[in-house]
Amino acid sequence: MPIIETIDLCKSFGQLEVLKDVSLSVEQGEVVVILGPSGAGKSTYLRSLNELETITSGKILIGGELLDERRGGHSLVKLTPEQRTQILLRMGMVFQRFNLFPHKTAAENIMLAPVNVKGIKEALAREQALDLLNKVGLADKADEYPARLSGGQQQRVAIARALAMEPQIMLFDEPTSALDPELVGDVLTVMKDLAQSGITMLVVTHEMGFAREAADRVVFMCDGTISEESSPDEFFTNPQNPRARQFLNSIL
Amino acid sequence: MNAINQILSWIPSLLNATGVTLLLTVCSVCAALVLSVFLALGKISRFQPLSKLAGAYIFFFRGTPLLMQLFFIYYTLPMLVPALTINSRFLAAFVAFSLNVAAYLAEIIRAAIQSIDKGQMEAGKSLGLSYGQAMRLVIIPQAYKRMIPPICNEFVMVLKDTSLVSIIALTDLTFQTKIIAANKASSLVYIPAMLIYLVMTALFTVIFDRLEKKLSVYE
Ligand SMILES: Nc1ncnc2c1ncn2[C@@H]1O[C@H](COP(=O)(O)OP(=O)(O)O)[C@@H](O)[C@H]1O
Ligand SMILES: [Mg+2]
Repeated sequence: MPIIETIDLCKSFGQLEVLKDVSLSVEQGEVVVILGPSGAGKSTYLRSLNELETITSGKILIGGELLDERRGGHSLVKLTPEQRTQILLRMGMVFQRFNLFPHKTAAENIMLAPVNVKGIKEALAREQALDLLNKVGLADKADEYPARLSGGQQQRVAIARALAMEPQIMLFDEPTSALDPELVGDVLTVMKDLAQSGITMLVVTHEMGFAREAADRVVFMCDGTISEESSPDEFFTNPQNPRARQFLNSIL
Repeated sequence: MNAINQILSWIPSLLNATGVTLLLTVCSVCAALVLSVFLALGKISRFQPLSKLAGAYIFFFRGTPLLMQLFFIYYTLPMLVPALTINSRFLAAFVAFSLNVAAYLAEIIRAAIQSIDKGQMEAGKSLGLSYGQAMRLVIIPQAYKRMIPPICNEFVMVLKDTSLVSIIALTDLTFQTKIIAANKASSLVYIPAMLIYLVMTALFTVIFDRLEKKLSVYE
């Protein structure tokens, strides 16, 4: 059973059709990299999965459970807020611009949701936060405010913050695009470690090195549709879709 | 010399009335603050009826003269709904100012909340926080620092605007000044009265500047 399944996902902003019948299945533990030109709908797709955007039509299943099904904008599923949160909590998200809480220290950023959503005791949450910071190589930054961290450090705190809710799936939306080139490596290292750990990952990125090394599958998105789906080897050596070929040429 | 002695003799009664001005300002702004938080949250709510209602309230109180609102509450309301008669001039002024100032403060609070990057709410939601939790734990703690300067500004405006209440014969600083001017047939009294207003606004401006500096430490 796929851990993420979207069927004929459509999303429009007013007249603008951004996603057109996007169907994709991701198996548990798989690392899928989504590539594609700017404006293809990659962010919108990820954001639809955790309901930061509301789809216009289609079906989203997470861990086999129906999260949303819509036709013509109308929802066909009735979940209680608790059921919905329960499903949404299986996904963690990492944003391009980090979105750390600037009024909280690194550790407090990580503790906030475990304490307030899961009801974990402060002391225990802090212990876990320190563990996670250690994992992302920032053990010494626990009590720093985000403004005093580099972009790469902020993004690693953001990854730790998402992991603190123990999601089964991690969604990454261009996690290194806002970083200075010399800071990208540290974040990618953390992501590669994570990929090894067996968590399911859906990653939008322009880092071809990461796609080649860490991805189990590459999905090429263009104009709101998935136009190619293959192994990284196949995709990078012999892309089938002409737009994918063009995209690879423009990037390499 | 005679003029100065004369002015000095008015000071005690002017200061007495200043107490009313200050009390009215502080009470009104405090009550308005409480009301304005609900108005601001209502206005940005995605629940349309609530948002429309808050919007209409703000539109009405910002779109009509404060003086008229004061008249309405003190004179018209008792005619329309006898049960809502407010006999105390102070209480009537307090109600009018609270309702009016709340509309302005609500817009300040709304603007501050909406000035916080959208990514903050999204990050909160992606971590499983409810809308209310995200507001309380993430958005408001960041927004409130941005509200302080315009709220302080509004306070000083209210302090001066309270001079309107002299129109319903509430003995504030302005009304006391007018009484003295009429009784003693001397318009000199406006000089100490204005100086008292000036000292108060200067004092609050300095206090608020200090407060702002303290709060802006880690932004
Ligand atoms: N909130 C929005 N309102 C209107 N249009 C949007 C919105 N978000 C994205 N779009 C549009 O949807 C299209 C796809 O955007 P996006 O998903 O961000 O693409 P990508 O992440 O692949 O660059 C773009 O044309 C963009 O302008
Ligand atoms: Mg994008």
